[in-house]
Amino acid sequence: MTAAFVYEFRMQARKRSMWIANGVIVALLGLLTANLLTDALDEPSAKVAMTSGAFLVNLILPVVYGCFLADRLVRDDKLGVAPILDATPASTAGRLSGKYLGSCAAAAVPLAIIYFGFAVLYAATAGHPVALAWAAALFAVVILPAVLFVGAFALVVPLLIPAPLFRVLFVGYWFWGNSIHPTLMPTLSQSLISPIGPYPLQELFGYGGPGGDVVLAGPVDDATLNFLRPAATAATAWLSIGVLLAVAALVLSAAPALRARTTR
Amino acid sequence: MRIEISGLVKTYKGKGRALDGLDLLVPTGMFGLLGANGAGKTTLMRILAGLLRPTGGEVRIGGYDVTGRAGRQAVQRVLGYLPQDLGVYPDLSAREFLDYVGLLKGIDDRATRRRRVGELLEVVALTGDADRRLRGYSGGMRRRVGIAQALLADPRLLIVDEPTAGLDPEERIRFRTLLSQLAGERTVLLSTHIVDDVAQTCRELAVLAKGRLVFRGTVDDLTRRADRRVWSVVTAGPAPTGGTVVSALPVEGGLRYRVVASVPPAPDAEPLAPTLEDGYLALAQPGAAEDAMRP
Ligand SMILES: Nc1ncnc2c1ncn2[C@@H]1O[C@H](COP(=O)(O)OP(=O)(O)OP(=O)(O)O)[C@@H](O)[C@H]1O
Ligand SMILES: [Mg+2]
Repeated sequence: MTAAFVYEFRMQARKRSMWIANGVIVALLGLLTANLLTDALDEPSAKVAMTSGAFLVNLILPVVYGCFLADRLVRDDKLGVAPILDATPASTAGRLSGKYLGSCAAAAVPLAIIYFGFAVLYAATAGHPVALAWAAALFAVVILPAVLFVGAFALVVPLLIPAPLFRVLFVGYWFWGNSIHPTLMPTLSQSLISPIGPYPLQELFGYGGPGGDVVLAGPVDDATLNFLRPAATAATAWLSIGVLLAVAALVLSAAPALRARTTR
Repeated sequence: MRIEISGLVKTYKGKGRALDGLDLLVPTGMFGLLGANGAGKTTLMRILAGLLRPTGGEVRIGGYDVTGRAGRQAVQRVLGYLPQDLGVYPDLSAREFLDYVGLLKGIDDRATRRRRVGELLEVVALTGDADRRLRGYSGGMRRRVGIAQALLADPRLLIVDEPTAGLDPEERIRFRTLLSQLAGERTVLLSTHIVDDVAQTCRELAVLAKGRLVFRGTVDDLTRRADRRVWSVVTAGPAPTGGTVVSALPVEGGLRYRVVASVPPAPDAEPLAPTLEDGYLALAQPGAAEDAMRP
């Protein structure tokens, strides 16, 4: 497992296109929301500033890393490396988890640079070093679960459908499942299994959208799928993180069987 | 390590049988595997390497049943496998790739692994390019990385599927010699289309056709199948019929044909001493197949 972790991390981190894509998106975002950024830097509360930063990272960047992680598992067969790896005595489950955690970790590196870069900038300009502590907490509780959730699907779903198709569907899903208001159509947004993290953002960090007055999580009147939107509390926020990680593990556990289907 | 195969059947989804009730015993030492395209060589090797589950039959390697999880792991611990369609990670260097495979093979000690990887890079003559990304490697260089990877953990069982395809003559001869040297106590199963590689390295071999065993014996046995069946004919006219043309060489007065046929293809045909390749070709001819299984 460590072997796969180390090398999958290295290979994913060496993808120049991943760095370029993240860089371009962030640059664009920075330009489009320049006034928002200055607002954020002027924001008196370190907690609010860091939380809106995490929200923004989680809103946009999963689209990038979801697409970049989509080839990680299927490429072993495409490249023809799979027979070599499969003929070693290393356990399939260990290799799979190493690959998953390694490539997710590599995908999280640009996020960390961007997000902690923002945190350091804020801490320096606003003079609130506590921002770094908030940033660390948000990274662990909001950004990383999204990476693990998206990563599991990105690795496994391309075993069923071609990776390019997955990317298109994934981008569609991302905005449908995270940012559409639930009264418009049935959606997973504002629910426990919304990887953008509405429950933890709202309940653990008191986030209320850019204006501070938006309800992110919890039941919505006249919306379908409200059974996935229990009342928002700190407990359901932690539950939401647990659900995201459990779904990720479940999806991953299907990988060996799905692979066997195509290669045996 | 002996490989004992009995009644082995493999059916791919929606296809005929790739292996059709194969019985074969592979002893310790170097053993050749020949057969036309699609004969089932790769399928057999993938089953032996634990990559493919057979549809039926039994396979025991050194006493382990490779179809079970425990047996498969036990075999894979002593296995070196070079797949036919071999790939590498383009974004790693040869040294890194070998280090990765070494880790997966359980060479946990870092210093041992480094030393081993270095030795094998030397063996396959890639030391100079070892730290370049594999993306820029030629086909033959990649195959050499594949060879090195198969030898990493000092395997007692080596399964190599067309290892010399794409190698230059010098490398090919170096590698096949290396294989024979390694054989000794080990079992080396070599599949190839280069009959001469088998003739130069193996004492025993098997020939598959359409998933069945059509020959198993020594190189001399197979060569003798072509006794009194190899002819040399010089003609400026049409190619001789009624046999398999092995070669056609331009000479004064036309072409000199080497023909494997049960009767002389022309009145002035001269008999020649057979090679293993002639024996292999004779096997596919009517008359030879019937007595092919004769011990
Ligand atoms: N993954 C697969 N799915 C379906 N059929 C397959 C698959 N692999 C092989 N076959 C079929 O099984 C038969 C045996 O193939 P195999 O690759 O074992 O032959 P081979 O002796 O290795 O041939 P070659 O000399 O061309 O490498 C062929 O008819 C082939 O079409
Ligand atoms: Mg083959």
